[in-house]
Formats: sequence, C-alpha cells, structure tokens
Amino acid sequence: MTEDQVLLQDAAERYLRDSYDFNARRERLTRGVYTDPQHWQAFAEMGWLTLPVPEHLDGLGLGTRECAILAELCGRYLVTEPLIEVLMSAATLIAPSPHAAAWLGQLVSGELIPLAAIDECAGRRNERPATVLSRGDSGWRLTGVKKWVSAGPSATHFIVLASCDEGLAWVLCPRDAAGVTCETFPTHDGRGGANCSFDTTIEEHQILLAGTAALSALEAYRELAMTLSSAEILGAAHAALNTTVEYTKQRVQFGQPLASFQALQHRMANMLIQVELTRSLVYAACDAADGDTPDRSRFACAAKVKASTVGRKVSQEAIQLHGGIATTDEYIVGHFFKRITALESWVCSRGEALREFMAFSG
Amino acid sequence: MNASNPIPGDYTAFRETVREFLASALTPELARAGERTTSVFSDFEAGRQWQSALHARGWGAPEWPLEHGGTGWDIQQRYIFLEECRLANAPNPVMMGIQMLGPMLMHFGTEAQKAAYLPGIISGDDVWCQGYSEPGSGSDLASLKTTADRVGDEYVVNGTKIWTSMAHYSNWIFCLVRTDKNAKPQAGISFLLIDMATPGITVTPFSSLDGEIEQCQVFFEDVRVPVSNLLGEENQGWTVAKYLLEFERGGQHFTIDLKKQLRKLQQLVTSDANAAADDPTFAFRIAETEIDVIALEQTELRIKGSVAAGEHPGALSSLVKVSGTELGQQCAELLIEAAGQGATPWQSEVLAPDYQGPTAAPEECVTTMAEYINSRATTIYGGTAEIQRGIIAKHVLGL
Repeated sequence: MTEDQVLLQDAAERYLRDSYDFNARRERLTRGVYTDPQHWQAFAEMGWLTLPVPEHLDGLGLGTRECAILAELCGRYLVTEPLIEVLMSAATLIAPSPHAAAWLGQLVSGELIPLAAIDECAGRRNERPATVLSRGDSGWRLTGVKKWVSAGPSATHFIVLASCDEGLAWVLCPRDAAGVTCETFPTHDGRGGANCSFDTTIEEHQILLAGTAALSALEAYRELAMTLSSAEILGAAHAALNTTVEYTKQRVQFGQPLASFQALQHRMANMLIQVELTRSLVYAACDAADGDTPDRSRFACAAKVKASTVGRKVSQEAIQLHGGIATTDEYIVGHFFKRITALESWVCSRGEALREFMAFSG
Repeated sequence: MNASNPIPGDYTAFRETVREFLASALTPELARAGERTTSVFSDFEAGRQWQSALHARGWGAPEWPLEHGGTGWDIQQRYIFLEECRLANAPNPVMMGIQMLGPMLMHFGTEAQKAAYLPGIISGDDVWCQGYSEPGSGSDLASLKTTADRVGDEYVVNGTKIWTSMAHYSNWIFCLVRTDKNAKPQAGISFLLIDMATPGITVTPFSSLDGEIEQCQVFFEDVRVPVSNLLGEENQGWTVAKYLLEFERGGQHFTIDLKKQLRKLQQLVTSDANAAADDPTFAFRIAETEIDVIALEQTELRIKGSVAAGEHPGALSSLVKVSGTELGQQCAELLIEAAGQGATPWQSEVLAPDYQGPTAAPEECVTTMAEYINSRATTIYGGTAEIQRGIIAKHVLGL
C-alpha cells in the first residue's frame, strides 16, 4: 500500500472502530433505520462519497484499490449504509455522464443517495431490460419495474437501467417523484431492499448515459461490483475468522480452551490460508483495474469466484466452531455469514463470474 | 494472466541472457529428461550434466553469495532464472547440497569446512543426501535415535535413517544424530557430515509407488566419523537445522510448475486422448483450479515483494507450501482424469534422456500417472501439511 492508502485505511478504521457499534446497529435495524444520518454525514465529510470521482469534477480522483479499502472495512464492521453502492454509482454512472455536474454537488454533500436499479428478475444479467425509456409528445417517460435493489430503503434516487431507441440508458430518478412507487422490505443482511415501479416523466439531465456509453457503463459497474463485493466479503470473512480465533481461546470445554484442540486449529489454519489467498487476488484485481491492464475484467471475475467460495466456507466454519452461540442474532458472527451470503449473488453471482472468466480464457 | 510485479526495474535483458544460455546449453536430450520429470528429481545423470553446465556458466548456485561462487542476483533475477529453466524443461539436479547444506555450512561452518565442502557442492562433483528422518521419527523429528558417541577424536555412529532421497547416488550425507541421551530431545542433537564410503554404512534403496527408485534406508553400524566433521557446536544440531527453515522461507515458487500443469491440461483436453471430452463439468473444474492458481501466484508475489522490502514473510511460507502442494495434487488429479486409461501404462525406460523407442501411453500422457502418484508425497515431505497447519495455527493465529 502507498502512504496515502495507509492513511485512508487508518482513518476509516478509526472511525468505524470508535463509532460503528454492533449493538447500536442491531437496535437501529429493528426500527427499520438502514442508514444512520450521522454516519452518512461523517462519510460525506471524510470525502468518501466522491472518492473515485475524478479531480476535475471535484472528487478525490482515487482508484479501485482505495474503494476496496473502504469495502473491506464495510465488511469487517458490517456497515449497512450503501457506501459501496454509492461509490459504484458515482464512479461508473454519474462521473462519466455529460450531466455529472448537475448531480455531483448533492452527492458530495451526502444529500443524494443514488442506487443502481438493474434487476427485473432474480439477479440475472440483463442487457435488454423490459423497463423502457421512451420519447412521447410531452417529453421523456420511464416505465417499468425493478426488483431487489439492495439497500433500496436508503436510496434517495434510483439510477434505472432501461431500454431505449439507442439501446440502453441509465436514468436517474428521484424516489419521491410522481409516478414512482417503492415497496421496501427488510433483508437478512441488514440493508433492506426495494422493489420499484416507474411510470414517470424524465427531464433531459436525468438521462445520465445512453447508447454505447450506457453499455460500457454497465460493464464497468459490473466489474467494479465484482471487485468491491469481493473486497467486502474478504473483510467480513477475515473478521469472522478473527472472532472465531478469539472465541475459541476463551471458551473452555473438557477443562481446556477449544483453541487447544488440533482438529479445530487446523480448520482455523485452513480458514486463514483461504482468506489470505483471497486477499492476494482481490488486491490484484484492484491493481489490474487501476493499471487498466487488458486482463482487468478477468481478474475481477477470478476475485468474485474465489471470494464467494471462500466467504461461504469461512463464515460457515466460523458458525460451526463457535457452536450454539453463533446461531443467535445477538452474536456478531452470524451477521458476517448473512452479509457474505447476500454478496455472493449481488450484481454478479459466483456462477456468472465463473462463466465470464472461462469466456475470457477461451 | 500477467501478474503485477512487486519489484520495479527492467529485467528484459537479464531474461534474454538466461534464454540465450538455455538455447545453447540445454540439449534436446536434457530437455526431454526435464520434461519427463515425475517427482522432485529428474533422471540422475541428466541432472548431473545440467549442474555441471550451470557451474561452467557461473550459475551453479544462484542463491549463494558471490564469495562462495553464487551469482549476486536479486530476488527477481533468481525468480526469472528459475522460471526460464522450468519453462525450458531443464532437468532438476540433486539439490540437497546446494539448497540445504550450503546455507548451513556458510553460516555455521569453520573456514576449513567451507573450503573443503562448498566447491564440491557447487560443481556437482559431490552428491549430498540428507539424513534426518528415521523409521520412528518422521514429523516428530526431535525424537530421533541414531547415536554418535564420542571416542577420542571420533564419533561412533549407530542407527538408521530413512527417506534418504538419492542416497544410492550420494558420496556424502549430512545427518542429525543424538550426542546427549540425557538432555531434552532437541538439546541432545548434533549435525554431522559423513563420507558415505566410511566402513559400516549400508544403503538399501526401495521403490516408490510409481516403481522408480529414489528413496533409501541408510544403516550405520559403528561408523567412525572425525570430530572435525561436526557442523556447529556439539548438541547444537537442532539450531543448525532450524536455520535452514528460516533461510528457505519465502523461497518457494509453486506457480511456475502449476501453470505448466494447467498448460498440459489444456493440451490434453484439446487432443484426441481426452477422456473427459464428454464431461461438461470438466471445463468448470479446470477454471476453478486456474483461479486458485492465480490466487496463489498473487500470494507468492506478495511474499516476494515483502522479502525484497527486507521483511520476513514468516508463516506465509507455510501457507504457500500447503496451498502449492495441494493445488499440485488437484492439477495432477485433473490430468489423470483427462488422460483416462491412456495414463495407465507403466514404462520406466521412457524417463531416460536417451530413450528413442515407442511409448505405450499417448505421447502427451507418458508421465501423467507417475506425476499423480508422486504428487501424494508432496504434502508429506518437507514438513507435512498437518505440520504446516500447526505452524500457521501457532504462529499466525496464536492458538
């Protein structure tokens, strides 16, 4: 890591360690508060929300590696605010838009929480959405239904992937606009979700990208999602391992700490081996993206496959090695397990990533 | 997939120099022996010839310091050299002298010992084997029972060593022996250098599962060894042996060979001999393995970067050993599945560099089964996978 990356990591870790309390998080979620306004304001003040936005657009101009530092910490501290989602929207959908200037001011201040709305049925890759952006006598109109928007209850805006005459379009639409209905629901990973329907008028500056630019943005969004969800899984899996190590050192059965049993030691060693292998691959995917190497997408796919496999295994083992306590909602380790499970299929599933990896190899 | 190199600098010219040397020195016979290597060791004669060619070029022991005939290469140059040799199918010489004994001699040896032994090691004229394990002492090495009793200016050695690779070709053996039966196990061990021609030594080779002979048991009956052949202090043998573990750490590169295995697999699945052609899941398994190999490669690069920065990679090397050997086994399994019955013929003579005759197995599968069989040993020798996991549990996780 560079010096600046270490500074970013230290500052972010300090904030989350001191302020992001697990019990406060649990209590807040029972009230249906998925985004804590104080946390979000703090994220904005630390400059995180426009971290990957180029400097000429008043962002910090940082890369995938820096986003991954935050993603890893979000995994470790079980952050329910859609920080990663907003970084992805900012980097791949808003910054490249000719209308970026119209939105970035609200983004940097934290007022705008724009989440991409892509899925129309269970998370499959969708380059021909049934949601349509069309031009009528009275201007642009967006019509269609989007499902499974992770962290949807936290959104102020949706960036909707729609079909249009030019192919694809990304349309930024306020959640409270006339003709937008949004049905929210709790989710097991603590972020909440939303299904939305759109039958609403659209102004020119809301059409962020259209045509080939929109298609490339979809590719960029998916690639960044693969890398950052892998980084978040990495953070959560490593935290699940550390929790397990600490617990087995304390927990006494048969007159000795669980950690003294070789059968358990070797399982924890396996967890560490797999977490560290995943770390190498996730960081390599970041470096490939930031270096814009020809194999950057292939690295992102590889990272998603590895992180999903390892995240599942490590978080399952974490529960098993703890025993009964890990099956209660009051205890933290099951929450790593639930978040990792949600991330496995988020935007691009393990299976899709594997097939795409093979297509690159073919 | 190109791995990002953690070490800055332009090594193109260096790589070219290595390639030029390989193009001229590595004869087709030697490369053939290298390609048909089925374990750690290539055909012995081919390995010996190759070591002498390397020595003649001044590259007999790239890792050694310049003053002892090493190259002075940095970590990246050493890696490139290894990579080019492996890709060109250079055979593996018997490396126990160069890789194991050499560093210990340089650190613990007297000037007389260094002068006596280092030149023969680097030239390949002396072949050294390692006498550590015993029938009753495998992973629990410190329980070893071979004794060395001091009588005047000599030690009298009695006992037996096993898994002594290539002892039947060796003229020297370095041994851990017990010199104090009353001390704690590790504290009563000494490190002795023994001439294999000494009366009282018997070497009994035995076949490995693949039918080849690499392993031996060595018996010592009243073998008289001069006290001057003691390396380090008496009863400090455990410290001498442990130093090597420190020296070795971070120096292992499994992915060069793993990528070769993956390439072989690609060749096999696109050839007529592909027994897995009708299995639609096979391509997925190859891809998953390839992803694991990339993850390991990136981990090796992380370690290389930290070594280059002067850091100690510590137990990350145990991680690489476990992961590298287990992935090698996984690749070997895919290879025998792809080869199917084509992998079953056992034809020892094809491993020799001068073999010109027909092969019973399809050309691309002649070594597949032997490599699979021998891959099972990789998680046993050099510290079993269980010992490595124990190291990770203790030194990384603090369990």
